[in-house]
Amino acid sequence: MSANRWLATGNFFTSYREEQRIFFTHLDRLVFVAVLVLLFAWPLFFELSNKYMLVVNHTLIAVVAVMGLNIVTGYAGLISIGHAAFVGVGAYTVAGLATTLGDSHKLITHAWPLMIVLSGGMGALFGAFVGLPALRLKHLYLAIATLSFQMIFEWVIHFMGFFNQGQTIYIGRVHWLTGEVGRSSHYVFWYYASLVVVVITGFGIRNLMRTRFGRCLIAVRDNDRAADAMGMHPGLTKVYAFALAGFMAGLAGALHAYLYRGVGIESFTLHHSITYLAMAIVGGLGTLHGAFWGPAAIEFLDIQVEHLSAWAAQIFPAQGNLATALRPFSFGLVIVLFLMFEPRGIANWWRIARSYVKLWPFRY
Amino acid sequence: MHPLIISDVTLTFGGLKALSGVAMRFEPGTITSIIGPNGAGKTSLLNCISGFYHPDQGDIHYGDQRLTDAAPHQVAKMGIARAFQNLELFRGMTVLDNLLLARHSKLKYNLLQAVVFIGKAARVEAENRRTVEEVIDFMELEPYRKNTVGTLSYGIQKRVEVARALTMEPQVLLLDEPMAGMNIEEKEDMVRFVMDIQKERNATIILVEHDLGVVMDISDRIHVLDFGEMIGSGTPAEVARNPKVIEAYIGKE
Repeated sequence: MSANRWLATGNFFTSYREEQRIFFTHLDRLVFVAVLVLLFAWPLFFELSNKYMLVVNHTLIAVVAVMGLNIVTGYAGLISIGHAAFVGVGAYTVAGLATTLGDSHKLITHAWPLMIVLSGGMGALFGAFVGLPALRLKHLYLAIATLSFQMIFEWVIHFMGFFNQGQTIYIGRVHWLTGEVGRSSHYVFWYYASLVVVVITGFGIRNLMRTRFGRCLIAVRDNDRAADAMGMHPGLTKVYAFALAGFMAGLAGALHAYLYRGVGIESFTLHHSITYLAMAIVGGLGTLHGAFWGPAAIEFLDIQVEHLSAWAAQIFPAQGNLATALRPFSFGLVIVLFLMFEPRGIANWWRIARSYVKLWPFRY
Repeated sequence: MHPLIISDVTLTFGGLKALSGVAMRFEPGTITSIIGPNGAGKTSLLNCISGFYHPDQGDIHYGDQRLTDAAPHQVAKMGIARAFQNLELFRGMTVLDNLLLARHSKLKYNLLQAVVFIGKAARVEAENRRTVEEVIDFMELEPYRKNTVGTLSYGIQKRVEVARALTMEPQVLLLDEPMAGMNIEEKEDMVRFVMDIQKERNATIILVEHDLGVVMDISDRIHVLDFGEMIGSGTPAEVARNPKVIEAYIGKE
């Protein structure tokens, strides 16, 4: 071990256990803990309006979903155009129980952590089922199979009376140790709940990637022939990737249902699938922290452009319709620009910044 | 340790007969070479053994296990590893990662233990790392441990390819032209590795190679293929005297 555990200038490992560490220096760990404390503490000192709190929560939920998409598209290299449908599976698991048991049944209001995990399980089940074509199909053909799931999902919800034909199904207010979570604390409460889910699943995926269950995903992406010769079943590995992505999407779906206190099909359309894919690309495919950058960047951009278009509509009232087109336009532009100039996403900027800071003030 | 027995294997692609009635026996702990002119069916035969192709007729047995219809990952689990002719490495990964993932089916922990990591998964992975390090040491890959495979020279990549197969701790090692495209020095290194693998790791080696000098020097037995048919087999000296083999390689007067 190096003498200075705060700033390591090289590799000083003396055992293979040390090499497995997530944080190599004390400084790394300190920074991470500081950021985490900050994320947990800021709502105590600083009150955000409900509108912006909703955006923050929405971003966190998107982070959970994109972490899942990142597994299947980033690590395993399988394009999934139906991710919002898997999120929908999670949300409609909660909604379905709300319809059968009543929207304020104890299972939904008191046992909500269980419901979130259950929704994850349903997502995994559907993920594995939709992933089955991966046993035979590859590349774009597989992507079309996921697209068809998106279509079937929307169609089924629209035409089933059980799911209120895609119109909002209400979910009751949840209870916590202090009693019912009321209107004023609703958003802060779900901020913390989402944050806990993000941290737990984030560490889970980070751990997974340093074991055989993570390596097999990358092996199948890079060369499935060789992966086969190494004793991995390429088809089943892909199905497993879809199941894992479905699990994460299911968690996100349940959080979404609870946050909005209702489930409607308009949150799980093809448009949302594309948005998740865009978030994953902008953040950086195949990196864990890309799943944090992507949703944050896209949501931030969306708010800024919304302000801009409102401002533009004030100045040029006659062109109000045109101003509203700024949002989809800027969204498309950002994706194209990233694909052209930074296909490795914001995660790559982070990597560059880190390697620069690591050697500071020496530039070589 | 069992012999690997190929009996009467026929493989066709449409109208083309890649292999017809090939029968071979690979004794445990020996180096057996398969030689033949281009297109003779050497790689097709290796593909049949490692499960990428399935023969139309005939059988392949390893001990009492039947390989004929097994998929590549099943063959790998039986202890038969393979190094590819056209490098099939994971080019974006480091040498270390390439070797670590070769032991996929040897690591015994479940998904939940992997997610928690601390405990069994961490212990098994540290052990995995140690085993990989032994192979890195054996194949003299220490300077390249953390290099991305795609950035390494061709000769080193070939060595990584063999190392990766070796990491699987195989009983039978299939080497498909491990010396193709190498210079003399690299060839000598590779020959040394192959002989060390046989002696120290006690593996049965099946070698497909074009360099007749190398093949004659290190093989215990040689099988010769031409247009998918066996035209000779025996010790290097026997094969060198076989008129059919001479004809296939040099031509008739």
